[in-house]
Order: sequence, then C-alpha cells, then structure tokens
Amino acid sequence: MAGDMRSITLTINGRQLSRDVETRLTLADFLRDHLDLTGVHLGCEHGVCGCCTVLLDGRSVRSCLMFAVQADGHEIETVEGLSTDIDKLHPIQEAFSEEHALQCGFCTPAMILRTKELITNDGELSREEIREQLSGILCRCTGYQNIVNAVVSAREKMHDPQVAGR
Amino acid sequence: MKPPPFAYFDPTTLEEALGLKAQHGLDASVLAGGQSLVPLLNMRLASPEVLVDTNRVDGLGGLRRSNGTLELGSMVRQYVLEDDEVVAQAVPLLAAAARHVGHRENRHRGTVGGSLAHADPAAELPCLALVLSAELVARSNRGERVIPASDFFDGFMSTVLQPDEILTAVRIPVPAGNVGWGFEEVARRFGDFALAAAAALVTLGDDGSVASASVALAGVSDTPVRATEYEQALVGTDPTPDNVASAARIIERLVTTSDDIHATQVYRRKVAAVTASRAVTAAVNRARGGE
Amino acid sequence: MATSIEEKPDFKWIGKSIRRVEDPRYLVGRGGYIGDIKLPGMLYTAVLRSPFAHARIGSIDTGEALEVPGVVAVFTGQDCKEKMNPCANFGPPTITQYPLAVDKVRYCGEAVVAVVAESRYAAEDGVEAVEVDFEPLDPVVDPIAAIGPGAPVLHEEHGNNLAYERIFEFGEVDDAFREADVVVEDKLHWGRSSGMPLDTCGAVARPALNGSLEVYCNSLNFNFFIWLVAAALKLPSNKFTVIPVPAGGSFGSKFFAHKVPTLAGFLALQTGRPVAYIEDRLDHITNSDHHGSDRYYDVRMGLKSDGTITALDVDVVDDYGAYLQFGVGTHGNSLSQAVGPYRLKNLRYRLRAALTNKCQQGAYRGFGSEVQNWVLERMVDKAARQLGMGPEEIRRHNFIQPDEFPYKIPTGNIYDSGNYPAVLQRAIEMLDLDKWRTEQERARKEGRHIGIGVVTTQERSVFSSTEFWFWFDKPAFPLTSSPESVTLTIDPTGEFQVQMHSQAMWGNSPETVAAMLVAEEFGVDPYKVNVSYADSAHSLPGTGPGGSRFTVMIAGAVRGASKRLRAKLFKIAAHELEASEDDLEIVEGVVRVKGVPDKSRSLAELASTAYFFALNLPEGVESGLEESCTYDHPYTTLPSDDRKDLGVFYPFMGHACHIAVIEIDAETGTHKFLDYVAVHDAGTVVNPKTLAGHVTGGAAQGIGSAMYEELVYDEDGQFKCSTFMDYLIPTAMEVPEFKLGHVETPSPYTEFGIKGGGEGGRMVAPAAISAAIDDALSDYGVRITQLPIKPSEILRQIETGTQS
Repeated sequence: MAGDMRSITLTINGRQLSRDVETRLTLADFLRDHLDLTGVHLGCEHGVCGCCTVLLDGRSVRSCLMFAVQADGHEIETVEGLSTDIDKLHPIQEAFSEEHALQCGFCTPAMILRTKELITNDGELSREEIREQLSGILCRCTGYQNIVNAVVSAREKMHDPQVAGR
Repeated sequence: MKPPPFAYFDPTTLEEALGLKAQHGLDASVLAGGQSLVPLLNMRLASPEVLVDTNRVDGLGGLRRSNGTLELGSMVRQYVLEDDEVVAQAVPLLAAAARHVGHRENRHRGTVGGSLAHADPAAELPCLALVLSAELVARSNRGERVIPASDFFDGFMSTVLQPDEILTAVRIPVPAGNVGWGFEEVARRFGDFALAAAAALVTLGDDGSVASASVALAGVSDTPVRATEYEQALVGTDPTPDNVASAARIIERLVTTSDDIHATQVYRRKVAAVTASRAVTAAVNRARGGE
Repeated sequence: MATSIEEKPDFKWIGKSIRRVEDPRYLVGRGGYIGDIKLPGMLYTAVLRSPFAHARIGSIDTGEALEVPGVVAVFTGQDCKEKMNPCANFGPPTITQYPLAVDKVRYCGEAVVAVVAESRYAAEDGVEAVEVDFEPLDPVVDPIAAIGPGAPVLHEEHGNNLAYERIFEFGEVDDAFREADVVVEDKLHWGRSSGMPLDTCGAVARPALNGSLEVYCNSLNFNFFIWLVAAALKLPSNKFTVIPVPAGGSFGSKFFAHKVPTLAGFLALQTGRPVAYIEDRLDHITNSDHHGSDRYYDVRMGLKSDGTITALDVDVVDDYGAYLQFGVGTHGNSLSQAVGPYRLKNLRYRLRAALTNKCQQGAYRGFGSEVQNWVLERMVDKAARQLGMGPEEIRRHNFIQPDEFPYKIPTGNIYDSGNYPAVLQRAIEMLDLDKWRTEQERARKEGRHIGIGVVTTQERSVFSSTEFWFWFDKPAFPLTSSPESVTLTIDPTGEFQVQMHSQAMWGNSPETVAAMLVAEEFGVDPYKVNVSYADSAHSLPGTGPGGSRFTVMIAGAVRGASKRLRAKLFKIAAHELEASEDDLEIVEGVVRVKGVPDKSRSLAELASTAYFFALNLPEGVESGLEESCTYDHPYTTLPSDDRKDLGVFYPFMGHACHIAVIEIDAETGTHKFLDYVAVHDAGTVVNPKTLAGHVTGGAAQGIGSAMYEELVYDEDGQFKCSTFMDYLIPTAMEVPEFKLGHVETPSPYTEFGIKGGGEGGRMVAPAAISAAIDDALSDYGVRITQLPIKPSEILRQIETGTQS
C-alpha cells in the first residue's frame, strides 16, 4: 500500500519551502532525496550513530528518527546552512579542517552542527564536558581528539569579534 | 531500514488523540519523542496500522511546581529535566540523572512520558519515577486515572496503560525537608542503557541515623524495581559507607535479568548492590549538607 | 643504514602538517558518497536475510511481493546460480559463494532474496511479502567443534569444515624449548570485531552502451583484478567498468568488497535499469564481506633465565565463518612480523582455518597482524612477570638493535630499519613513567587500582602479493604483482592534474599525499594540484589502499611520473633556452638554468609550447605534458620451495610503543584512562597531522576491539548484535586524550624513506590495555586472555582472585 501523502511547509537553512511527502518518509530521507542536502548522512537509521544530525529549531536531533511531516512548520538547519562555498567556509568548518578533525567526512556535518549548537548555547565547556556533549555522534576515524580540538578552536574563532558575525 | 506504511494522525487536541486511541486501540501506537518507537519502525520490529503523533497536542508539554508537586506534562522533552531551573530546585535527582538518558540529541526529542510508557527496565526515567514515588496520569475517553509508579510497570516493557489510554502527565512529590539524593549507573558506554543503575533518596534523623530511604534500580529485572527490603534495613542505622554497603547485599536477590552479551546475571547482582550502596552513600552525604 | 633525524633531507613540503586538500567538499556536505549517487530511472534494492544459522532453502514464494506497489522484480539464489558464475574467490575452489544464497543458508543474515523497487521503502515492503520455506539444519558455531569429528558440514563439496591446515616451522623449535629455562603458556582468544565504517558498502550499477555495465562503487578494488567480478557476471572484462566512489570509512571493510557490486551488477543486468544496492546497517553488520579475525590460540614461549626469548610456539584455530573468499591471508600478516621487535629465532606456527555458521571473515585494520601483536605482547608480559622483570626491561633486553638492520626474521621477511629502544625511551619520557609508578604505589595504599601497560609492537606496511599464495605448495596462481600507478599531467595552462588508478579515498589522505609530493617535486602549491581517480576502464594497474601501503606506493608512482615529466620539461626548456638539460633545475614552478635565474621558463610557458607550438618542440618530442608511472612493490622476493623461508613480503617495518595508564574500579570492573602515550615510527613522515590521525583513530578502534566491540553469535548461531545498540563503537567518552610522539627511521627501500602508518594505533592499543588491566589488578592475579574485556569478566577474575 502506498502511504498517505501530506503537504508540508518548513524553513530549511533560512529558506521557506513546501513539498508533498509520504507520511512515513523520514526527515533524513526527505532532506537527502527531496532537497539534495547530501550533508545529512545515514549511518545506522536507528538513532545511534548521529550522522544524520540536523538542528531543529536550533536543537540537534536525529533526523532518521523523525518523519518529514513532523518538521512541518519548523526550522531546520543542515551543514549546508553554514556554507556551501568551499572558498568561504564558516569558521567552524575552517576549524575542522585546520585541526584535521575529519578523515572520511561521514560524521563531519553532524559534528559541525553539534559544535555550532554547543558554541551558541553552552559557553565554556571543558574538554571533558565537550566529549560528553559529542558522545551522541560516532566518529570511526579520528579517535575524537582532533574534533575536541576543533570545537575549542572554533569557539575561539567565534568569540573573535572579527569572525563572530558570520 | 525504512518504516512500514501506517496511517498517520497528528491531532492538536487531547480529545482528538483520545478519540483515535479509542477507535484504534492496540492497532494505534502513540508517537511521542520517537527515540525508541522510530528505531523499531525503521527495523520493522513494530508495524502499527496507525500512528497517533502527540507532538502537536496542546497542553502536554507544560511543567509546573505547586503544592509540593512537580507536574511534568508527558510531552516534556527530556533535555528540559537537565536545563530547567524549576526541576533543578524541586527534584535535583531528576536533573542530575537526566544526562544518562541516551545522548543529548535523543533528549532533545525524547519525552518524559514516552520513556515511561516504553517502560524499558534498563532505562533511567522509569527507575526515577519509582524512587520518587511519582504518580502517572492516564487519560482516555472513559476519564482520568492516576496510577502510582509502583503499580505502573507490570512486565517486560509493559505497563498497565489500557489500549485507549494516553499518558498525559507525571506528578512528582517534591521531596520535603532535608532530603539527600544519589544516582549511580554502570553502563558499557556512556549513554547506553544501564547494566545496573540505582537512584536513592535519604533523610536523616537528628542523631544522624537514617530516618527514611527510597531506593530503586534499573537494568536488573523485567521492570524497574524498588529495593524495599534494603530501604527497611537502612532505616535506623548509622549510614557509614560500610553499613550502607553491607546492607546492600540484600539487593542481589532482586536481580533477575539473565546473562546477555553485555553482562552476566552474577555481575548484575554484584553491581546492582554496588550502585545502590553508592547512590545511598551519596544521598547520605547530601543529606548531611555535603555535595 | 638508516639516516638519523639530524641528517634528514631538507624537504619543502614533506614533513609539514598542511591542511588536507580533500577537506572542503566534506565540510560542505558534498562528499559524493555512494548514497549520494542518483541516476535517472534508478531502482533500489532490499535484501531478505536468513533468520537461520544453517538451513536448506525450500520453496520461495515471491508472488505477493511482486504485487507490492513499487516492486519491480524479485530475484533468488536460484536466479544467480542459473545466470552467473560464483563470486570472486581467493580461497579453496570447493567453497563457492553467490551474492544470494544458493540451496542453503550458512549464517544468520546471509542474503537470500533481493527485491528491486522504485524506492528503498517499497523494496523493504516487498521483502516483507516474500515467503521462504527454510528447513533448519544443525548449526556449527564453535570452531574447534567444527573441525572435530561429527560436525555438520557447511560445504558438502569441500567435505569438512577444515578450510586450511599447515604447520610452518622456522629454526629449531623443539631444541629451543628443551633448552629454555622458563616456558610460559596460555590460551588466548581474540574476539570478532570489524571495521564497521559509518558509511556502509554500496554500489549503483547501470547497463551502459553495447552491453557494457558501469558500476559506481565504494569498494577499494584492485582494479587489475576487477575482471574477476566481470567473470562472475559472465561479462567480458572490457564490458565492465567500475567507477570509484569515495568511501565513508573502510578500515578493511571495503577492501575488495565485491559481493555488493556483484549483486548490484547482477540486478542491473537482469532488470536492464540502473540499480542501487546500498547496505543498510543491518545488512552491513550481519552480512558484510569483512568480519574481523576470531582466533583461538594455544601459545608457548620459551626463555632463558636472563629474559632472552628463544622460542615461540603458536597453535591457532581461526574461525573464518561460512566462506573463505580471502583465503588465510590474515595469517600471512601475522607471519610478516611474527617475532615482533624481538631477536627471537625459533618459531612454530600451526594454523587451522575453521568454517562455521557465521558471516565470513575479511579484513580489519591490521589484517590479522594486530592479533599476533597482542598474542606476542601477552606472552612477553607473562614471561616478564614470571621472571620478575619490568615490562620495559624484558623488551629492551630482546630488541633487535638499530645496527642490525636490515634484519631477516625467521619466517624470511625482512625488517628494513628501526630504532626500537629510541621509540620506547621516547614513550617513557613522554609519559613520565616513574611519576606514574609512584602514583600507582600511592593509590594502591588507598585501595585504588592503577595499572600501567607498556607494549612495543611492529607495524608492518606495504603488502606484496606472495603472501596470498605461499600457503600452498602448488599455488594455482602465484602472483607477484601489487602495483600502484599515477598519471601526472601539466595542462595547457600549466596547472597540475594527478590521476590515481584505484579507489583510494576512504578517509585516508591520498590526495593530500599526492599533492604534497607533486609540490615537493615541482615547487608548486599543493592546493592548486587537482586530484582525480580513474575508472577501471581507463586505469593503469592499481591495487588500492590496504595493509598501510598507499602512501609508500603513491610516493613511488608520483616520483616515477615526476621524473619522466621533469625530463620532458627539461627537454623542451633546454631547447627553448638553448641550454643543456643537465644545467636545468625546477624552483617554485619555474624551470631555470642553474646559477642564471633570468634564463628561465615558467611551467605555463612550457605547457603552452608543449600543447600548442609543435614546431618549437625539440625533435622527437610529442605534444602534451603527461606522464604515467606504475610503481611495483619495491622489495618482494619469492618464498623457498619448502616454505622454510617465505621470502620478503612485508618489509617496510614500522614500530610503536604505547603506554596506557588505567584505573580499574574493583567493585564494578569498569575502568578509566588516566594517561595514554603513543609513539610511532613510520619512517619519513609526509604529513604529521594526518599520520597522527591514524594513530588516534586506530587506537580508538583498538580500544573498541579490546573493550567494547564484539560480533556475537550464540550457541544456536543466532546473531546477537545486529544493531548499534549492541555493537558498541566507542564514543568520545570512551576514548582518552592521547599524547603522541614520532620517531623517524626512514626506509632504505622506499622513495623518501616513507613507511606506511595507516593501521596506526589499532596495531598496539589492545596489547597496551590488556597489560594495564593486568597490572592494575595484579594483587588479584587478574590476567586478560580474551577480547573484548568486559567489566563482568574483570569482576569475575577479581572475585576468583579474592577467594584464592
């Protein structure tokens, strides 16, 4: 049986748009397959790996555990919302590259979004506290150390008035 | 791993939601935060015909403290327990233990009511509901029921909620007076379900002996359990760490979870007692005014 | 032999921690992974996996599935058997495999039916509608029982469950044990874990022109063997093209992972439409090509009373699961560094490969050599304790010394260079071992349990192909090639293109390495070098990454291509500048006459000449600026006929020392890292930061294998951990902060002296952790003999120790 369809309107990376979706379509699949936001990655589809993390009204959520219909009326931010211009990266993206905080890149968009959320909401976390806050996203490559470094470095960049406005 | 087809409803009023539950009964699953249900759907281990999404239902997301009670709407997100000042003031145990519920991303969606209704015996919130003597409010078209947490969990991942009922709120008596609290958990990884976890509330008499104790455990049985014998054994004693620990041996017999790939039953017995005694000792220290 | 650090050549780029050139696309969500590929008209596949460990497949009813909206076609193993050949296979020919099980299922999770549909959702709806009659058979789960009498046989054609057995003996083992003052022995079990990349294996196959098939695929294919996949599909090799797609992690799991592209290719050929088969997490955990080693050891080590190790006797049963597609190559890796960094002369190695009702084994970071490291270090530690020696003392006493290289070990492999005492010393200093020993004593008095694990292991790099077949006296195909190629182009405007000839990107840094080397050769900006990957129809021979080989091999190929390209540039420039080629040099992208900087041509000027002004070219020089180089393994020798000498097959020998400081909570068996130092020697370091990333990332995986990750089958062969709720990958909370150090002893045999370091910390961490836990709980006589180490096992041993 084909599922029910619904029309939804939501804001993605600052742009409002409407689409018709099957009600069982996950938010992750909606973002990837309908909007070509390929920074949303499917690593486990059962809410453990965190690679599909997006910001829903500014808070990190696992988009494989939501249905697109549930995002109707909400704001979503994906890594593409920070910058898609490789010559003009967001300071957090810069920090990840400078600190070699990515290898295969599969967890990277999720880690970057989580970093943005932490810097915005949680102030001066210690390295140990940063680790706890990153523990919901698995990285299989880096051993995390450089990701923690990138969070610290990005925080410094963002607190620098020269770049904070971006 | 894609969910099977289902009929989807996202009512905005409780009445509509209850109507759907009354109509579809066991064929309808309530979708709250989705952190447990959606994995089951994606793996096709659950295939409800109908999903009743309560995320848009008005009036289930509130939190208030009045008359010695902290009332949490069933759709209060778990992260609120960590962040909210009212919760921290009223029931610091809840605020402190919340960080063990999955990971922050889960808690941004996961709800208090969802976790209780899912009733995973290794989950933290059911255990906390027990130790805090919470009351759970269930609504149906037939009316409202208030169920003590001690009566709520009736088997492995099973509750006394009827097919037409929806959990709407949790009422937690705000511990009155100088109540110390403690929470201890052992899990394979941070954020995993507990191999054993214990929560404790303790009040001390003027002479420093235990006046009252409440201890509950997760991960050790088909349901979260209150350690009533241990509580009774503690009352009246001088709660030195040694006394607290040796009395905790009694807890071992509560442990019925079988061997699994993460731990043996023998291990859970030992560690249930250890987490309980550590939680109680932490509670005692807090009751004495320490942190 | 080895150049010391002081004498290191003055490189401009090599040795610099530059940002990776790969990064930008990943940072903006444009990684181009297999799941991002969408072709017009593409269909999606979902697979029905066996719920039984061992069963005969009866009737399969696909009728209802075909009625499911969106479902296009349904295929079974019978379709495969009728229309294709068995999958590529490096194991015994009597053990055949198809991408969908034929007649029998042999493990829980084995693919039985493929449903192809307009969406993955519809395909899964279809899978639910398929009815399969299974007739369950007795499962064989325990590998020792599997090779014993009376066990149910997995592959009737093979006759029994013993896939391979041989005893290799090097030196005079029995004499050495007879003359030993001390013999320690143990039973050890290394449990099954796997690379478990976050991006699963996937392929998108498209029927293309004139009966050819194109397959986008994130497998790290040996492109010069890709005809094996074509053969399975009954296609001429020139009608089958693999287009490489970057992998979101491999760690072995995508090493020639051919079942997925084979299935996608088969489904595309059958339906005539583009078909994607991308494993979901359940598919990958239960049914990948690459579960890791699962070994049961009986080991003996003989020593003199002064601590000199004289003999090692290894008897290992390896539980390979239901198929043996990669042969027993994981033990070749063990043999390449079987004696570790020690001067041990006498070695016996008995291997029995068992077939059981489990998913097949393949590669996982270390390819089996990390297991040998753990076993060897476990035995050295046991001997040290028995002899009353400190862990660093017994190791120093047995180390091969810096002046003994190149050093031939008993198996015949060569260690090219090294300075093991220096690595150990660096680690001890970085940790401040004395401080921790003092702290350990202080804590012990408070009833706390701190342990310090000091281990020193080898990190072999750059496999050659003899290890695939030296197992057999009469190998069917005694291959000696394992090449890697590069094509280097200066385009008409003077910009650099590097083309690699294998799927090389899985999270390593092949583009950064290539760009840095080109920058080193030509004095250009590495960020201006563009790097791409050839498809298999247009590629020169390439083996791809694996066994820590890619940096060494690509360096050789870049250097070779650069020499040729430089020669051509010089020819053209000499002609234009009326100078001798011998008087020219390249400095910062300009060819000039030595000592006469004004007499020069920029690369853009020379490129212009090369492409557009044929009449200005010297005689015999063709237009264009493109050169390729295929670099063969620089040091491989054949094994002896009697296999008493296996030849040189893994000679670029890195080394590492890890020291872990761990505190154990003796009431719960849980642990906390207090400190962790890792010092590695991977020869000349190209990019310290990316190499360090392999050390920390590998160590995190080592922590996973040592304490968390296990692919568990119960006694009925049911799989107990098919999700990430149960397969426990360490999070940021389980992985400590590492202090990292490097020592560089360049290889005399490779370009620039580079050795491979990609397998990094996973080669070492399990041994360091095991040692630290033993040390922490020495009062209770705790000894770690199996991985992963669970808190419940630690507590069990503490209880046992307390009682005795």
